[in-house]
Amino acid sequence: MTFFVDLFRNKKASLGLIILATFVIIATFGPLLVRDPTDFLGDPSQPPSARFWLGTTLQGQDVFAQTIAGARTSLVLGFVVGLIVTLIGATIGIAAGFLGGWVDDVLSLLTNVFLIMPGLPLAVVLAAYLKPGPVSMAFVLILTGWAWNARVIRAQTLSLAQKDFISAAIVSGESRLRIMFFELFPNMTSIIVSGFIGATVYAIGAQVGLEFLGLGDVSKVTWGTNLYWASNNQDLLTESWWTIVPTGVCVALVGFALVLINFAIDEVTNPKLRSESGFLRVLAQVGATAGFSTPVAKAALERTPEEGA
Amino acid sequence: MDFRSKLPARRVLWRAILLLLSFLTVVGCSRSESAHERGVVVVVPTQSATWIRHFNPFLFSQARWGTVGAIYEPLLIYNSAQGKYVPWLAERYGWSADNLTLTFDLRRNVRWSDGQPFTARDVVFTFELLKKYKALDQNAIWVKLRAVEQRGDFQVLVHFKEPFVPALFFVGESPIVSEHAWKDVKDPITFRDENPIGTGPFTRVKSFKTQVYELGKNPDYWQPGKPKLEAVRVPAFPGNEQTSLAMLRGEIDWAALFIPAIDRIFVDKDPEHHGYQFAKVEGTVMLYPNHLHAPYGDVRVRKAISHAIDRQLIVRIAMQGYTDPAPATGLTDLYAKYKDPSIIEEVGDFNKHDPTRAKALLDEAGLTMGPEGFRTHPDGSPWTVDVNCVAGWSDWIIAGQIIAKNLQAVGINATLHTYDFGAWFQRLQTGDFDLSISWSTTGGPSLYTYYHRQMSTETVRPLGEAAEYNWQRFGSKRADELLAALAKTNDLAEEKHLARELQRVFLENAPALPLFPGPAWGEYVSTRITGFPTQENPYAALAPYKQPGYLLTLIELEPRAKGTH
Amino acid sequence: MRFLLRRLGFYLLAAWVSLTLNFLIPRLAPGDASSALQARFQGRLEPSALAAMKEVFGYTDAPLWQQYSSYVNNLLHGEFGVSVAYFPAPVTEVIGSALLWTLFLAGASVVISFVLGSLLGILSAWKRGGWLDSIAPPAFIFLGAFPYFWMAMLLLFTFGFVGGWFPVRHAYSDHLTIGWNAEFLLSAVHHAFLPAVSIVIASLGGWLLGMRNTMIGILAEDYITMAQAKGLSPRRVMVHYAARNALLPNITGFGMALGFVLSGSLLTEIVFSYPGQGYLLYQAVKSQDFPLMQGLFLSITAAVLAANWLVDIAYVFLDPRTRR
Repeated sequence: MTFFVDLFRNKKASLGLIILATFVIIATFGPLLVRDPTDFLGDPSQPPSARFWLGTTLQGQDVFAQTIAGARTSLVLGFVVGLIVTLIGATIGIAAGFLGGWVDDVLSLLTNVFLIMPGLPLAVVLAAYLKPGPVSMAFVLILTGWAWNARVIRAQTLSLAQKDFISAAIVSGESRLRIMFFELFPNMTSIIVSGFIGATVYAIGAQVGLEFLGLGDVSKVTWGTNLYWASNNQDLLTESWWTIVPTGVCVALVGFALVLINFAIDEVTNPKLRSESGFLRVLAQVGATAGFSTPVAKAALERTPEEGA
Repeated sequence: MDFRSKLPARRVLWRAILLLLSFLTVVGCSRSESAHERGVVVVVPTQSATWIRHFNPFLFSQARWGTVGAIYEPLLIYNSAQGKYVPWLAERYGWSADNLTLTFDLRRNVRWSDGQPFTARDVVFTFELLKKYKALDQNAIWVKLRAVEQRGDFQVLVHFKEPFVPALFFVGESPIVSEHAWKDVKDPITFRDENPIGTGPFTRVKSFKTQVYELGKNPDYWQPGKPKLEAVRVPAFPGNEQTSLAMLRGEIDWAALFIPAIDRIFVDKDPEHHGYQFAKVEGTVMLYPNHLHAPYGDVRVRKAISHAIDRQLIVRIAMQGYTDPAPATGLTDLYAKYKDPSIIEEVGDFNKHDPTRAKALLDEAGLTMGPEGFRTHPDGSPWTVDVNCVAGWSDWIIAGQIIAKNLQAVGINATLHTYDFGAWFQRLQTGDFDLSISWSTTGGPSLYTYYHRQMSTETVRPLGEAAEYNWQRFGSKRADELLAALAKTNDLAEEKHLARELQRVFLENAPALPLFPGPAWGEYVSTRITGFPTQENPYAALAPYKQPGYLLTLIELEPRAKGTH
Repeated sequence: MRFLLRRLGFYLLAAWVSLTLNFLIPRLAPGDASSALQARFQGRLEPSALAAMKEVFGYTDAPLWQQYSSYVNNLLHGEFGVSVAYFPAPVTEVIGSALLWTLFLAGASVVISFVLGSLLGILSAWKRGGWLDSIAPPAFIFLGAFPYFWMAMLLLFTFGFVGGWFPVRHAYSDHLTIGWNAEFLLSAVHHAFLPAVSIVIASLGGWLLGMRNTMIGILAEDYITMAQAKGLSPRRVMVHYAARNALLPNITGFGMALGFVLSGSLLTEIVFSYPGQGYLLYQAVKSQDFPLMQGLFLSITAAVLAANWLVDIAYVFLDPRTRR
């Protein structure tokens, strides 16, 4: 539990969480406060003005409203897919890593095969055949994205399974299912959270990419379809940058925020990665000064609390 | 890798930056984009990622541009700008008194690009080839033909099973190939004809690469003094945006593009030399109601839906104002000589945007407002309307969105559904839809083809069976009578009279709801090449992708005389 | 050697799964695949002609099992079918022209990204807390968070459309011919520059951080301390001891990255209209050219598997532990 406390204290994580929280608030309440993004309201291709904060599209739609509305659809799908991918990855990874034997062989093979197949082309081909819409999109994203998490979690399971408390549980007769859910899973929180975040980043990015190609439902308002229309309307040619820049920046900020949180998790669990100032603080605690990787410093590192149980 | 300095990081970084800058300089200096020689017209009629060397004229939508027209020529070419046929390889043509035989008198001084003379033997051979290989007969000419006969070296008689005047277009515009080059071809369906031998003005394949190909002038072309150009170059441009930019930079002379805000972006950049023509001669985009789904079989419901639609808004937003709302008859400018506004006044215009009238008609049909704020069926069950559209066709999608909103405004619970092409088309053909946006097909300037596909009982298919046309499944006996008479006549007065009556049937029944005519896109840049049809002199169609229609323009192009603007 | 053979076996299995998926996907989807032909002719194709066309494309009513075995049989003979959009060119011919460009662009981008990223990562780790370490990782992570293609659009707009310093489409100037001459090669590099830069910017962060974190872990190891205690120069320690060992785990990631780039460069190619496989795949999707689509998916997969296989071979050479 100290893991989460450390996380919130971490500077990177705080920044990431603030950015993320802002977007979540925008996505939840924003659409209620702006105009209808699908209404053909203004003059076409107008640059940002007092009336339309981010200008209008070629069809005369409010870009600001579209960006806000797009936040909701893109983020919701991203998080849902991220969650499902994480659950699938965790289940398969833990099962493979812990149960071993032929189960491991089969699951690992499956994982590696899906890992190596090129994701985007597969997604493109699938999306081309399926009916456009959020369900198809989710299906495609999950199919192409689950393998990464599974592999990482399997590796972690393998190393955890060696530990004493697992042996103890086995010896005391706990059923394997119980061990998987109640012993292994809770001890991998940081990896799983990290995996969830990574999966969400992938989901949002891939979703935007596929929708940009026109493979989503283009009559819905999402970040990806906004960029699709920008491309379709030849906004580069008409130099209507206001239809392109805001969405890209939003996607980048969300991705950046999530990645920051992931780094923070990395740092909290592996103190060696912490910044120099943090490192110096640790040394100060034991009354030593910094050299580069001296035995004293090493010993000091060894004594700092590792990933809490 | 042993650095001498104490700061390896900085050293490496500076070296890398230096390398990058020198690279950019070298590359920047060697920039030379296009070598645009005099006498070569650069045309981009279609967009493609890559070119495959394919000049088989029978598969005209697969073959490279230039195959039908610049390389292989037809007997006649229809000039849609002037509304008449231009004799081409045939000097004269005429129907027999009973309209059962079409006679072509061929031109005498024509040679194939390998020197052999062009004769009636080649024409007969071409049509026999279509008969033998059905996949090549893409207009199904032989359904109507009985035989093709050669009389002497320069006369061909085409005999029909029964009078069918609209076939003039399909027979006349068929590309003619030479017997001596094609008689030994094993499989004409997959034959790529990589080194074509034609009668046209640009038959020599000067160069062919995946990104660009060039057709060189035929020095023995049968029109004296023509062509005035040396060659035609066709680069493979992948998207609208890239092509538009290249046009603005003067790298392309002639193209078919959708350019947003075309006056600001294109014309204003050089008003003297930048021009465009968006002739409204392609198929009409329509909203098709499925007559076999209740309640669309009721003409009041169909007309009500039509009155609810704001076509001005659709044209302004979805088509950037590049076309106009279609008349209720659905006729485009291709049928200009048959258009008769008086009949619309007489029968009534169901294309008029009139939501009040729409509501009144719906109420009359028993589809009154229900408790949830939407109209219901007469028995009270909820009425939901699906508007089908193709995923990815953005102008249709915007039109569909507007239609859905318009219908909701009169109380109809309508939603837009996009499907990928295969699924959408299957639904359309098998009658698995309520309302669907689709195109009407053109089959030349004959009104017969157009109305046959919209109203003839011959084209109606039951639900579940794939229909080639008439997806709305409307058949009118009166229309059948009129169409049968129309097929047999080529007297203009008679045609106009029958056309007027057909329009009456269409206006009374509203089988499909016309939205807007599809424009034929064409733009030109005349800084290097002159002779394009302009607004002042629209002598032919500007759209470069219409085969063989573009030939009428291509043959008039010439390099701009030095010293002129 | 056993290691390599095992990996080969794995790749063959992955290839089999891919081609089976390739076979199943279109048959699970709704809609008659041959109506894509109808689309090509905008509804002008008469029924008899359409029927004849269908035969040419081999749309039969045979049972699934039979279709599958003839499909596999065709593949083994190099027959990928006929393209709809570029009829009657065989799919292999259409793909061939694009394969070279994709390998060129993706290969160059990955190599540059890997070298540059690793270099920056090493330098960041070496001078922890220095200016490079403070700026580079967060900057590149932020840049990498932008969608691939968005970055491409931005570069295209700024340097291509507005600036006009770089070409905005194609792989080489139209008036040149392919050949081993300076003009052509320079033109090819000029055209590939912006697309490559956008891929490099997007992927640099990953390499940088991976290398940096591995380095940091290694720098805490005993043998590093030993080397420094021996009195070796810092450069020597950094390069010959730390970097060399840090490189190894990243090499395995190289194969995976090549896979990502080969599939991710699809979007970059589309934005730049660069005539590679990705661009062709997009065109095939738009024109519903299913044979071409499937052929491309298979060739991209094959390229990824082959790249990983080559990396495995390289790994065997670099890491003596595998040569036991």
